[in-house]
Amino acid sequence: MKNLAICFFGLMLLGSGQLCFSQVEDEGEEKEEDYSIYDDYELKDDTPVKRYASPKIKGMSPRKFISLGYDIQLPYDYEFSNVRFPQDANGFDVDEDNPNVNETGTIDYTGGIRFGSNIPIISKTSFVWQSGINYLDTRYNISPENNSPETVTLSNGRQARSLARILDEDGLRNLNWSNTFFFPLNEKEFFVFRGQMDLSGNYSLDDFQPLNTIRYSAAVVYGRRINDYYRWGIGVARTYRVGALNYVPVIMYDWTSKNKKWGTEILFPARAYVRYNINNNTMLLGGFDLQGQSYRIDDYSINGNSFEIRRGEARPKLQLQTKVTNFVWASIEAGYRINWSYDADQLEGNNDFFRGFFGDQQFVMINEINNPFYFNISLNFVSP
Amino acid sequence: MKNIFLIIAITLFSYASTAQDADAIIGVWEPSHGKAKVKIEKIGEKYYGKIVWLKEKIDPETGERKVDKNNPDESMRNVPLLGYRILKDFEHVGDGTWENGTIYDPENGKTYSCVINMKDENTLDIRGYVGVKTFGRTDTWKRLVIKNKK
Repeated sequence: MKNLAICFFGLMLLGSGQLCFSQVEDEGEEKEEDYSIYDDYELKDDTPVKRYASPKIKGMSPRKFISLGYDIQLPYDYEFSNVRFPQDANGFDVDEDNPNVNETGTIDYTGGIRFGSNIPIISKTSFVWQSGINYLDTRYNISPENNSPETVTLSNGRQARSLARILDEDGLRNLNWSNTFFFPLNEKEFFVFRGQMDLSGNYSLDDFQPLNTIRYSAAVVYGRRINDYYRWGIGVARTYRVGALNYVPVIMYDWTSKNKKWGTEILFPARAYVRYNINNNTMLLGGFDLQGQSYRIDDYSINGNSFEIRRGEARPKLQLQTKVTNFVWASIEAGYRINWSYDADQLEGNNDFFRGFFGDQQFVMINEINNPFYFNISLNFVSP
Repeated sequence: MKNIFLIIAITLFSYASTAQDADAIIGVWEPSHGKAKVKIEKIGEKYYGKIVWLKEKIDPETGERKVDKNNPDESMRNVPLLGYRILKDFEHVGDGTWENGTIYDPENGKTYSCVINMKDENTLDIRGYVGVKTFGRTDTWKRLVIKNKK
């Protein structure tokens, strides 16, 4: 038995010796290796390998996992019309071309924090699912003109704060949950589906507005990844980016030049940028964003209806993105905030309706805000 | 005496078995994009993987063999991609998993933390990530061998 044990130990030692020997061989063979032998290597498993389109192309700006930023607009003037509701046989009786201006003044400050997240829940070659919570806080500091009223009378006879006071005291918030799914069909074709739920209004985080005021957006895009430098796609979106509910076509066009200096990142109409890569760690983007949501004003939401400001804006801009540390990038942005809509609708029973570009449903309130320059800075945890 | 021998034998057997499991990763593998072949080998007690085959060996921009031109270290930008170690410092932690290593992406010159899981003897799930494993992407690699020619 003793001999057997010795023999066993001997075999183990011999085995380890062979292992050490082979390691030395491995290290030594690096420079001498004939790589042509690997031409003949084939898949061991005969099951055909399905290859999939990658969810990005070369040279694109880094994908943001987590983002914390601050947005500020320079002062601008405003004119808010009377609050006219409820609707009667004559509609809301608001002259949309020449509204009866009730409140005027200057908005000295518009700004707040922007938190964004886009976390990979599943991220495989064959399927990507990213989910994120985003929070936009917009605070106002408003100087009304002397003749602007501090209160308005609602249709139920109750006195409520003027819109300028509401904005000044409460601000507007948007909290949303977005989910993006990337389904590659093969090496070239893919589908992207994005769904989003938004809760927007003058609520505070400890006093949410009713959850039946959640607004739903969605987009689906069919795309083709032509090569590592170019992909395009077409689709359709249900969106609130112009404030009110709308259905619009979507065009994706992402392209990078072969030297990776120039490119485009376009998901029209939501955003469209031309990109210039200054070097591997810094890039400049020029283009525009379309931003917006339907913000419920709780004070004016009476009789089971929802009074909502259809806030939509275009933001032509220049944005510099630069690496701070390995996976943390800073973004500095300057541009012009162009008002698309700040008018308001009353939604009966909280149910939204579709006006589109050509609908003739009347607004409850016609508001005009001027266009200021704006600035945005953010720090982003990214996957380069 | 019999018991002591049994304990030693079981210990040695399990050691040999673990080492065999750890070495299961050794071989030649193909990433999902099919543009390269990577040979994983053991050096010391750790596992490394280098590019041993490229579908496109010549850089169409330069007409020369492909080099690591996106490397953040300028002195490395003339190093050929063929033979380049993109997987480094992996340790077998049991249960078909190799951790504590990194993966280098020559496409953008970035190095990511990485964990490798062996799904079956011919399939690896390679997850590159940033910071924590949540922030990452999994690629599936398939084992390659030389098959008998007819």
